[in-house]
Parts: sequence; C-alpha cells; structure tokens
Amino acid sequence: MDKNLASRPKVKVAFWTTESTLAYLLLLPAIAVLIAFMLYPIVYVFLTSLYKTNRIGNLVEFIETDNFKTLFSRREFWEVTIRSVIWTVLAVSAKTLVGLTIALLLNVDFKGRKLARTLVILPWASSVPISAMLWQWTYNYDFGLLNYTLKITGLWKHPPHWLGYPLSAFVANLYVDIWIGIPFMALVFLAGLQSVPPNLYEAAEADGASLWQKFYHITLPLLKPVLLIATLLSCLWTFNDFNVIYILTRGGPVNSTDILITFIYKYAFSFLKFGPAAAMAVVAFAILLILSLLYAWFYFKSERY
Amino acid sequence: MKKIGLIAMTLSLIPLLFGTPVGAKKEVNFFLALYDGLRPEYYQDLNRAFNEANPDIDLKVIPVDWNALHDKLVVAIAGGRPPDLSVIGTRWLLEFLDIGVVEPIEKHLSKELIDNIEPGAMEARINNVLYALPVAAGPRFLYYRSDIFKEHGIAGPPDTFEEMLTYAQKINDPPNFYGVGMSGKKYVELTEFAYYLLGNDGYFFEINPDGSYGKCRVNDEAGVGALTFMNDLVNKYKVTQSGVTAYTRDEVQDLFVSGKLGTILIGAYTDVILKQRGVTFKWDYGLIPRFAGKDRHPLMITDSIMMFEASKNKEAAAKFLEFFYQDEWRLGFDKHVGFPPVLKSVGKMPYFQAPIYKVMVNSMSGAKGWPLIPQWAECNDIIWDAIGATFLGQKTPKEALDEAAARIDEIREE
Repeated sequence: MDKNLASRPKVKVAFWTTESTLAYLLLLPAIAVLIAFMLYPIVYVFLTSLYKTNRIGNLVEFIETDNFKTLFSRREFWEVTIRSVIWTVLAVSAKTLVGLTIALLLNVDFKGRKLARTLVILPWASSVPISAMLWQWTYNYDFGLLNYTLKITGLWKHPPHWLGYPLSAFVANLYVDIWIGIPFMALVFLAGLQSVPPNLYEAAEADGASLWQKFYHITLPLLKPVLLIATLLSCLWTFNDFNVIYILTRGGPVNSTDILITFIYKYAFSFLKFGPAAAMAVVAFAILLILSLLYAWFYFKSERY
Repeated sequence: MKKIGLIAMTLSLIPLLFGTPVGAKKEVNFFLALYDGLRPEYYQDLNRAFNEANPDIDLKVIPVDWNALHDKLVVAIAGGRPPDLSVIGTRWLLEFLDIGVVEPIEKHLSKELIDNIEPGAMEARINNVLYALPVAAGPRFLYYRSDIFKEHGIAGPPDTFEEMLTYAQKINDPPNFYGVGMSGKKYVELTEFAYYLLGNDGYFFEINPDGSYGKCRVNDEAGVGALTFMNDLVNKYKVTQSGVTAYTRDEVQDLFVSGKLGTILIGAYTDVILKQRGVTFKWDYGLIPRFAGKDRHPLMITDSIMMFEASKNKEAAAKFLEFFYQDEWRLGFDKHVGFPPVLKSVGKMPYFQAPIYKVMVNSMSGAKGWPLIPQWAECNDIIWDAIGATFLGQKTPKEALDEAAARIDEIREE
C-alpha cells in the first residue's frame, strides 16, 4: 500500500456522501421493488409447480415433478404449446415485415408525413382490451362492420362467422394482435432508420447502387441491433398476449385459439388448479428464457463483428 | 425536549399507517352480478340510500359482469382480499365451502328475514345450515314470435322438442329468419344443453342412495339423445342461426330481440329485456319443452349472496342485507331482473300477480338444479367442449360425451 496514503489522516465522512454507497442507497428502493414484485413471484411459481396446492393456491404437499408429468402426458398441453409457438412466429413475422415497410415509407420525405405517423400510432395508443372489444363487435356475423362491408361491396357475399370456427377464429385473433402490434415495430424501426448516416446512401448512389442494394447492404445491417431488440420484445409480448384472445374467443371454439397464457389462466382461475398452472408457467418461462438467450447470443455475436 | 417532541409526533403517525383511526367508517364491499335488465340507477340508488341511512358504514356496490364473476372472486380469494359480500351462482357454493371461505350467513340475519324467504329458493341450505341468502331464483322459458307463429297457422308454443322442430322448419327462412336460436360458444353456464338433457329425463350425474353424486352420466342414452337432437337442429335440419359456435347466450338473445329468431330458450328475464328495448313485434312465452313421452324437468337456477369468512365487518354487511331485503328494494330488484320474488311478502304484491309470474311459479314444479360439486366449473367446461366439438363435426355426440364423462370422472377422483 502506498505509505503516504496509509499515513494520511482518515477523514470521517457521512456514509451517504461517498458516491458508491449513495448509489447503492438510491438503488435500494428499485431492488426492493424488483425482489417483491419480480423475484418473489417467479420463485413462488417455481415452488408451486413442485407442490400439490389447495384450491386457493396454498402449497400443501411436495410432489416433485408430478405436475409436469401430468401436464406432459396431456395431448391438449402439447397442442396449446405448439399453437403458442405458431401464433408467436406468425404474429411477430407479420409485425416485423409490415412494421419495417411502414417505417421505410415514413422515412421518405413527403407531404403529410406527420399526419401519417400520427395515424400509424393510433392502434398502439388505445388500450388493448378496448381495441379487442371493438374488433369483437367488428367481427360479429349479424351486426358487425366487417361482414356488412364485405356484403355491400360485393367482395364476399357469404362471409364466414369469423369467431365461430377454429381456423377463422385463430386468423381473426392473429390479425388483431398484428394490428395492435405493428405501430410499435414501425416506430422503433423508424427511429433506427433515422440513425443511419445519409452519407452512406449518397456514397452508394454515387457508386450506382440500386434501391434493393442500398437496403440490403446499408439499411439492413445498420438496423440489425434494433431489429433484434424489437423482435425479441415482440416475441415476449406476443407469446404472452392474453387480452386479445381472452376477449375475442376465450380460447374457443373448443380450445382452438387457446395459447399457453390463456390456458394457464383457465387452469388457475377457472379450475383452481394452481399446481399444473404453475408448471405451465414454468414451461412458458423456459421457452422465453431460451429464446432470450439465443437472441442475446446473436446480438452480442453481431456486435463483436 | 426537541427529541421527545419528534418521537411523540412519529408515534402519533403510526396508527395512520397501520391501524384504523377511531371513528372511521366500516367498509363493506359487495360484488353485485350484472343481471340483464338491472340498471345502474337501481344499484347506485341502493348504495346511496344505505350509506345515507348508515353514516358509520361505507358500502361499495361493485358491479361485475356475470361471465367474469367466478374468476374475479377466485382471484380476490387467492389474493387474500375477497369482498365482504358477493352474489354467487349457488352451484359455486360447494367450491367455496371446499376452499373454506364461506361464513354461514344464517347466524347474521334476523329470524324475520329468514322466515320471509321462499323455502324453494333456499338451495344454499346444506345440512340444515343456510350458507348464503337467495337473491334470485330463475326459471327458464321458451320465448317465441307469436306473430310469425300465427302467420304459419301455429296456435301456441310447442309442448315437446319434436314439436319445436316441426314449427321451426315451418318458419325457418335463412339468412333473414331462423327457426330456433342455439348458443354454442362457451359461457359461464351450460344452460342450453341442460334444457335438452333434463327434458330427456337425463342428468349430469348418477344420484347415490344417500343423495350424493355418483359417476357422470352425460353419455347415457338421455344425454347422447339430447346432444344428437341439438346437433340435428344445427347441422341436419339447419333450423338454427348458422355458426352457432360463435354465439354466447347473450348474443342469441340479441338475435331474438333484433327479430331474427322464431324461438329461444332462455331465462325468464328476457321478458324485461324485450320490454325495455321496446320491440315492435309480437312475442309470447311458454314452458321449456320436453321430449315426447318424457316428464317435464325444467332447469331451475338460483343465485345467492354469500358472506366471506374473511370479512372484517360482518355485522355491517348483515345490516346492509337487512336493508336490501326490505320489500321496497327487493321489489325494484325483482322487477328489473324479471325473476319471481324470493321474499314471500314481495310475492304477494299486485305486480307479481301478472300471468307471467304465475307461469314462473308453475314452471318450478319438477325442476332440477345444477349439481352441487366443488369441481363443477371444470366439468362445465369439459361438457361445453364436447358440445362445441359435436357442432363443429369433430366428434359424434356419443364420442364427445363418452370422452367428457370419462374426463369428468377422472377429475372427481383426483
């Protein structure tokens, strides 16, 4: 140790005046909130998944992995899990593609661009349950706006009962989820596009690059970090999108639109089976964790190069 | 001195954080199910009138959609914050007793009030203890378009389901007008199937000699016959609205109100809805049909008000019930929801001498209720899936109900 430093008289300072201690102190409320509202529920869900519970979710008996074994033996659990993955892949792909297209269009300077940007954000600005309820009315076979429009314009003389059959109900739910999710993607991509230096495009144009070449070799690589983060967030939200399905179809007809999150709700709060519901929540957590880790690996790998 | 002052001030603030200040109002939360026909003015007035008459109590009437009530209660119970009082479907009582959250209501109510309740409405009396106070006893009716029936030379409501089919075939004119309404979208209750099942002398469970429930019997001849008939209405004769799996009970009711249905099987409350919405067509009502050669066993549904064991203000909650069960308030409630009164004194009032209420009383003879078992919510869901799978052509009625019965027995054994 530096002798001079050791021999220096110690100055007594109040503990909150040292920078690091103060930082910890200021972080304490946030840490407490995270422990109480994030860590504790997660740990409790893991515990619950290993226990037999009573009908209000109190842990009664340790049953190891019985809840998981029962779950994995049920065909409907696998159907719902696979459907959740399909739902997420389709919805996120559509949101990304459409969101990116809208962002590219809004990035071009044209008259009325501000108005267009405002209009794009509208579906995201309104509350999801309200939007879902509006769509429920829109899809109504007898009195809904969609079928009315299709009929009077002659586009479809006998439109279907959108929410009455498995495939159309799934597509109808998917459409609403995409409709609600597009503005977020478009805005994030737009922000990403605006950070691309214009001189790169100018240089490319001077070299005679086509529109597609500029997009593929400049826009896409520079947008990659934003694309990764936005699609990851969208995956997490879409996989857990409860509102749309619960309001439009409640998982029906005959569970054909149930995804893991609605199934968990049904088991926990309709059937009072908190053990299997917690086991499903753990499975959902594991799927999303793997996805997030993959994304993180991909993200940092691309950062490195 | 300064320190002492500071400590004294801190101590005086503690009760504000952790305790109820002396003289604070006693809070009573009441989950009121939103019955069709029940207007906000009614329960807002009730809330206000009670609070004015009882300045020491702060009553909060919280309206809850019927379809969400069960799940909302479960969430509140699991979260350790149930209301003091709530309307419940009486068939949920066993589930709540099983959880251990029910406060037997009888001991908090006056003898006058208990004696004034129609005995037939006391479905929540178990082992001679009244656990919950009846709030509504709902017989079910067949409503029909009397003007359209007349046009087709049909004299009155069908007595049997077979007659109902014949009449429906006569008046059916899709896509403008459908013979019979059918709901195939999952709802909190399984009423549609119950009408046909009970009308075919069937039931959900075998009844053991001691009165307890045995194995599920929805897949017996009566059950399969009932579902086959329903499916024939939908897919063979096509006398219902199309896409039945997209319609809840409420949406089928909307179709009838909008003049697109000839017949509907629904709660007696539809009478109030039709009047409130001022429909211009002519309609009438009759008893729920039965199958030819079978006895009539209509469905009888009762709802009750339950007090939660965790309530901190049971006395205040009971005081509210005594207030609510005065003739004046009960008359208003029964008029709004269109059910026969659960209070004897209200039943004697001139309003309830109208013909429809006489029919309601008659319809209760031979009626059967929902099974009182703790797992009913899940059984309900499983049978709904069987019905939906049949309507969608995924399974035959026999296959669907065999699977449902097996699953229900499995659940009950768990």
